[in-house]
Amino acid sequence: EDPILSPAARKIAEEKGIDPAAIAGTGKGGRVTKEDVVRHAEAKPAA
Amino acid sequence: MANQFDVVVIGAGPAGYVCAIRAAQLGLKTACIEKWTDDKGKTKLGGTCLNVGCIPSKALLDSSHKFVEAQKDFKLHGINHSGVEMDVPQMVARKDKIVDQLTGGVGGLFKANKVTLFEGAGKVLANKQIELTKGDGSVEIIDTKNVVIATGSRPVEIPPTPTDGDLIVDSTGALQFQETPKRLGVIGAGVIGLELGSVWGRLGSEVIVLEAMDRFLAAADEQISKESLKIFKKQGLDIRMSARVTASEIKGKEVHVTYSDADGNDNVVVFDKLIVAVGRRPYTESLLSPDCGVNMDERGFIFVDEHCATDVPGVYAIGDVVRGPMLAHKGSEEGIMVADIIAGHVGHMNYELIPSVIYTHPEIAWVGKTEQELKAEGVDYKMGTFPFAASGRALAANEKEGMVKVISDVKSDRILGIHVVGPSAAELVQQGVIAMEFAASTEDLALTIFSHPTLSEALHEAVLAVDGQAIHIANRKRR
Repeated sequence: EDPILSPAARKIAEEKGIDPAAIAGTGKGGRVTKEDVVRHAEAKPAA
Repeated sequence: MANQFDVVVIGAGPAGYVCAIRAAQLGLKTACIEKWTDDKGKTKLGGTCLNVGCIPSKALLDSSHKFVEAQKDFKLHGINHSGVEMDVPQMVARKDKIVDQLTGGVGGLFKANKVTLFEGAGKVLANKQIELTKGDGSVEIIDTKNVVIATGSRPVEIPPTPTDGDLIVDSTGALQFQETPKRLGVIGAGVIGLELGSVWGRLGSEVIVLEAMDRFLAAADEQISKESLKIFKKQGLDIRMSARVTASEIKGKEVHVTYSDADGNDNVVVFDKLIVAVGRRPYTESLLSPDCGVNMDERGFIFVDEHCATDVPGVYAIGDVVRGPMLAHKGSEEGIMVADIIAGHVGHMNYELIPSVIYTHPEIAWVGKTEQELKAEGVDYKMGTFPFAASGRALAANEKEGMVKVISDVKSDRILGIHVVGPSAAELVQQGVIAMEFAASTEDLALTIFSHPTLSEALHEAVLAVDGQAIHIANRKRR
């Protein structure tokens, strides 16, 4: 199943070119929150 | 080169002015062109929505609703008065004042954000050049890196009932009546027809609404549209379905309208005023030079992709002039998306979750899929409803008509649609829009605390009812 992203998480992931499936979601049922995307981006800066 | 802009927006309606403000905020040198003027030749910003659409219609709906309440409902509360009268010119003047304030506000926002306003008509030439024709007939060429077309829409005219600006009018004329017509005809039982019919019906017009389609509010959930039709009929709106208008004749100060009914029989109805509200069409008059490269689809909408880009790189089109629902908030969000894209950011718009609202009383609103759409798509869904008659807050407010309906996916429980007819329908649906943006399940909302007593509780209970767990109604037995 496709990961579920909050609206802000969706936008940041697209801006930074991050594959949503690669982000560990901490929201209910594995939902990806804005915090999750920001944390993911900081840990692995885009090339 | 006198003028060189990053963005030139043609049209200052909700799509265009929002796009211009956002583009300026993002540091782009932005201009907006508007040709609409009042009878004194002063430029009017805000487009259809602010001048002759959303805002003025809501002002009249609110005034006329207060009149009905005072007339019919105050007694119930123990409020007695010796008679209420409606001063129609005063009601219309209040509306005009609100319009002036808001359209003036757009001008102020342009100034604050340093958006250059060009007064006149814009035409898209080849190579993204814009030809500006001013009110005095003089012509100027504007150079720009990007163009955003936001020229909006116009009421559709139909051959059997040509508008004459007096007896037969479109929605604009219907907002300017200086007295309540005794007998009012409305062609079209869509959003505009129902809202305008309601305004004048509340003030005493005998209203007949003629609708060519056989199903009332075909885009709404069927259960909600049936419930709504029942309520409107009780309010005295004579809504006739499958009524195809074939001819009209003006005799003195009367309009004689001929329509064929479901059985194919001809009927004649006589009105003092007739409102033609059969729909709106994209407005592109004198907009495109033949060699500009921008294409239109077969219905006259400017052809765009999912990011509102036309066939010419750097030329975008947004709002009523492109595909999708003709709603102010749809146009504005497209304006934001396009400004973001031009500034080099990600631009995104969720077309799945554009809410719809009809500002009758009770209000009708919805978002997401209807039950009949889900049936057609073969989706396995479950649903719950809650009537306002069981809401303590609604009873206290004497607003007991209508219901909330929530539909979710059987397997995932994800909410797929929310449909409301009743008090504050738009606000309740908006709560659902927010939840749905986060892919909420009915369980998510069920676990959320709703204040008591509030109308919002009806959404909570409808959500609980999806799994047969509503507290304040007897739950339907699951299949």
